[in-house]
Amino acid sequence: MIHGITVILGRELLAMLRSARVLAILMGVAVAAALLVLLKWPSTSITDLDGARGRDVFRWITWAMFTAAILVVPVFPSTLLVREVRRRTLELLLNSPLSRSSIYFGKVLAMLGFVVLLLASTLPAMASGYLMGGLSITEDIIRMYLMMMLICVHLIVIGLLVGTWTRSTESALRWSYGVTFALMVLPWFPDALFPGGDSPLARGMQMLKLISPIPAVLQMLNQNSLSGTGLMETRDAVMTYLNFSAVFLTVGSFVCIRRLSHSLLDQSRSQGYITDDQDGWVQASRRILYLVDPQKRSKGIPPLINPVMVKEFQCRQFGRMHWLLRLVAGCAVLSLLLTLASARGTESRGVEYTGALIIVLQVSLIVLLTPGLAAGMIAGEIEGGSWNLLRATPMGPGRILFGKLTSVLITLALLLCATLPGYAVIMFIKPILKPQVEQVLFCLLASAILSMLISAVTSSFCRATAIATTAAYGILITVFGGTLLVWVNRDAPFGRDLVENVLRLNPMAAALNAIQAEGFTDYNLLPSAWWIAGVSSLLLMVVLFAQTLRLTRPD
Amino acid sequence: MATENPVVEIQNLSKHYGEFVALDNLSLTLDRGSILGFIGPNGAGKTTTIRILVGLSRPTSGSAMIGGADCVRDIAKVRRLVGYMPDKFGSYDNMRVREYLDFFGAAFGISRKVRQKRIAEVLELTNAVWMQDRYVESLSHGMQQRVGIARTLLHEPEVLILDEPANGLDPEARIEMREILLRLAGEGRTLIVTSHILPELSRICDQVAIVAGGKLRAMGSLDDVTRTLSQRRTIEIQLLSAEGIDAVGEHVRTALGADSDITVSAAETTIRCRTAADDQQLGGLLRTLVTDGVAVGQFREVAGDLEEAFVSAAREAEAERMGTATQEVSQ
Repeated sequence: MIHGITVILGRELLAMLRSARVLAILMGVAVAAALLVLLKWPSTSITDLDGARGRDVFRWITWAMFTAAILVVPVFPSTLLVREVRRRTLELLLNSPLSRSSIYFGKVLAMLGFVVLLLASTLPAMASGYLMGGLSITEDIIRMYLMMMLICVHLIVIGLLVGTWTRSTESALRWSYGVTFALMVLPWFPDALFPGGDSPLARGMQMLKLISPIPAVLQMLNQNSLSGTGLMETRDAVMTYLNFSAVFLTVGSFVCIRRLSHSLLDQSRSQGYITDDQDGWVQASRRILYLVDPQKRSKGIPPLINPVMVKEFQCRQFGRMHWLLRLVAGCAVLSLLLTLASARGTESRGVEYTGALIIVLQVSLIVLLTPGLAAGMIAGEIEGGSWNLLRATPMGPGRILFGKLTSVLITLALLLCATLPGYAVIMFIKPILKPQVEQVLFCLLASAILSMLISAVTSSFCRATAIATTAAYGILITVFGGTLLVWVNRDAPFGRDLVENVLRLNPMAAALNAIQAEGFTDYNLLPSAWWIAGVSSLLLMVVLFAQTLRLTRPD
Repeated sequence: MATENPVVEIQNLSKHYGEFVALDNLSLTLDRGSILGFIGPNGAGKTTTIRILVGLSRPTSGSAMIGGADCVRDIAKVRRLVGYMPDKFGSYDNMRVREYLDFFGAAFGISRKVRQKRIAEVLELTNAVWMQDRYVESLSHGMQQRVGIARTLLHEPEVLILDEPANGLDPEARIEMREILLRLAGEGRTLIVTSHILPELSRICDQVAIVAGGKLRAMGSLDDVTRTLSQRRTIEIQLLSAEGIDAVGEHVRTALGADSDITVSAAETTIRCRTAADDQQLGGLLRTLVTDGVAVGQFREVAGDLEEAFVSAAREAEAERMGTATQEVSQ
C-alpha cells in the first residue's frame, strides 16, 4: 500500500507543481501575507513591550491563511476526480494493482503537499510577526499551522467526496464551494438569528456553531468576543472541532474509498422514461402526485419566448419547472424562518442587527449561486462545442445574450423575493425604517445584477467553465469580501475617507449602511454606491455585448 | 470546373492565419442534388473551407456563394440555406432529443406547430424516432450523429454540410449513415461530406474533391480523380494455367523495370503489376507474352481507388511543403 501511495503522490504532486497557476497562487498568498505585515509594521520608534502588535499581525496572517485555504483548497480535490473520470485515467488506475485506499490516500497526501507549500508561503510574514514579540512558537504559531492543516484536510476530503458525486468540473466546483460555505458560515446563522436562551434548542444551535472551524480559530486567537455568547465561554471550541473533524475525516474517507470504484465510470443515464407512454393508471396517478410532471413530454417552446432562455433552464440541473417550484417552496420556508427570526431578533438585538444578518445571508447566497448560474453561459458552450451551433443559427448576439441573462436573473429574483417578508416584519416593528428598507432592496438588486454581469463577463473571456467559475468566485469574493477587509482596518492603517471610497464599490456595504448596521453608521455610501454599481453594470453589459458580438462574428 | 446548375460556387478562396496558409486559391462549383466527398489529410483545409461556407469564418480573399448568397455578406441568408453538422456534436446536459431539436427549431424561427411536424419528420428520416425521449448526452456516438443530422434538417436547408459524419462509427452505424445520406440526396439536397473513411465516401459520392496543403488537387468523378492523381496503374494479367507462372512473372518484371511491383499468385493464376509504364510499353509487353506462347486469359487495367489518390495528393502536398522549406533554408 505504501508503494501505491508513493506512486500516486509523486504523480499528482508533480503535476500540480508543474502548473503555472499553482505557482501564481503560492506567490499571491506570499505577497498578500507580506503586505499584511507591512500594513501593521510599526511606524514609530516606540517599542511595543506587551507584544500586542505582534499578536495583531499573527491574527491577520491567520485570517489570510484561512481565507486562502477556503478559496484555493476546494478547487483542486473536487476537480481532480472529475477530470480523472472524464479522461478515463481513473479506469487505468483502478485496473492497475493499486488498491483503492492507496489511490485515495495518495491523492490526499498530494493535496496535503500542496497545502504545506501554501501555508509555508506565509512563513516569512509569520517570522516577521514573531520578531515583533508577544508570540510563542509552540503555543501560538505551530498550533495554528496544525489547525490550518486540519482545516485543509477537512476541505480536501469534502472536495474528493464531491468529486465522486459530480460529473462536470463546473458542478464539482460549485458543490465544493457550496459545502465549504455551508460548513463555515451556515452553522452560525441559527444561533445568530434566534439568540439567547438556555433551552435544549438554543443549546443545540450553539453547539451547531462549533462544527464550523471559525470558532476554534477565534478561540486560538483569543478573539472570543467576536464569536458571540454562550458556549464559547464555557466550552472548548478547539476540542469540539477536533472531535467533529476526526469523525468527519474517518467517515468521509471511508465513503470516498468505497465510492472510488468502477461504478464511477459506469453511471447509466435515464433511458428516457416518459409518462405519455405509460399505462392510463400511471398517467392518472402522476397527474395527481405531480403539480408539474418532470417526465411529461414537452409541448415545445411557446411562441414569443426566447428559446435560449428555455434551453438554459432545461440544461440546468435544477432548472426544470418542478425544480423551480421546489425552489419557490424552499424560498417560502426560508422566508418564514427569516420572518420569525426578524421578529425574535428585533426584540432582543434590535432591528439593525437582524436586518444586517439578513443582508449578509442574502448576499452570501447571491455570491455562492451566481457563478454557478452565469459563469458557464458562454465558456460552457465553447467548451462543449455547442457555441458554433448557436452561431450557425439566425439568432443574433443580442437575442442569445438576452435569453441567457434572463434565465439567471429570474432565478436570482426568486431568491431575493424569499426574504421580502423578513423586511416586511422589520418595517412593521419600526415603520420609520421603510425608506431604509427600500434602499436595502435596491442595493440587493444591484448586488444580484452586478454578480450576474461579473460572472457573465468572466465567462465570455474563458474557454473552460471551471476556469470561468473559479475566476468569477475570486472576483465576487474580492468585491463583496475584500472591500470589507479594508473596512475592518478602518482605524489603522486606513483612514475614514479611503474606507468610505472602497466601501462604495460594495453594494452589500451600501445595504448595511442603509440599514444603519453597527460599524457602517459613520459612512455616507448612498447614493454614490448605487451610481458606482449602476455605471459598473452598464460598463460590464457593454463589455459583455461586445465580447458576445466578437464571439458570434466570423473568425 | 464550371457546371450548369451550381448551388455552391467557390472562387479563388484563400485563408491565411498570420504566416500560415490554410487555404490557397481554392475554386470549385457544385451542382444541385449532388454529393461531394471533400477529402484530404489532417490540416489540409477542409474544415476551414466548411467554416467559411457556413459563415463561421471569413476568407482572406476570394468568394464563396451558396444558392446565390454570399457567405460573407449574406450570412443570415446562408444560415437558412445551409444545414451544418460540425465534427464535434455539441450536446447540452439534461436535454432530451426532442427538446434539443425543439430548441434549434425555435432558434431558426420555425413556428411551434410546424416545428412539431418537422421534428417528427426528421426523426423518421434519420431512424431516430425511438430515441426522441432519451437524454442527448446518454446517447452513443452513432446515435448522436443521427440526432446531429436530424438537427441540420429541421429548417429544410438546400445544402447539407457534414464534417466527418462517419467518424468513430461502427460498421453497422456506418451503413445506416450511408443510407441516410443517400436518402437525403434522393430528396434533391446537395451534400458536402468530409470523411477520412474513403471507401465509405467512394460508395456515396458522385463528385470528389481532394485538398491537401490548402490547395485543391483534383475534383471530378471518382474515376477522373483517381486517374488524375494516381501515378502508377495496376495491371492484372490472368493466365489460363499456373504452369510456369513464376517464369512469366520474371519476364514481366524485366519488361516493366525494377521499380514496378510484381505480385505472382499461382492459386489465382494471376500476375499483378503496379507500374508507371505507359500504354505503349504495356502493349509491347502483351505482344511479347503472346509471341512467347504464354496462354494469357486476360490482360486488363484495374481501376485505381480513392485511397491511392488520397495518398498521392498528400505526398504531393508534402513534397511542395518540403520544397518550400528547403528554399527558405537555402536563402
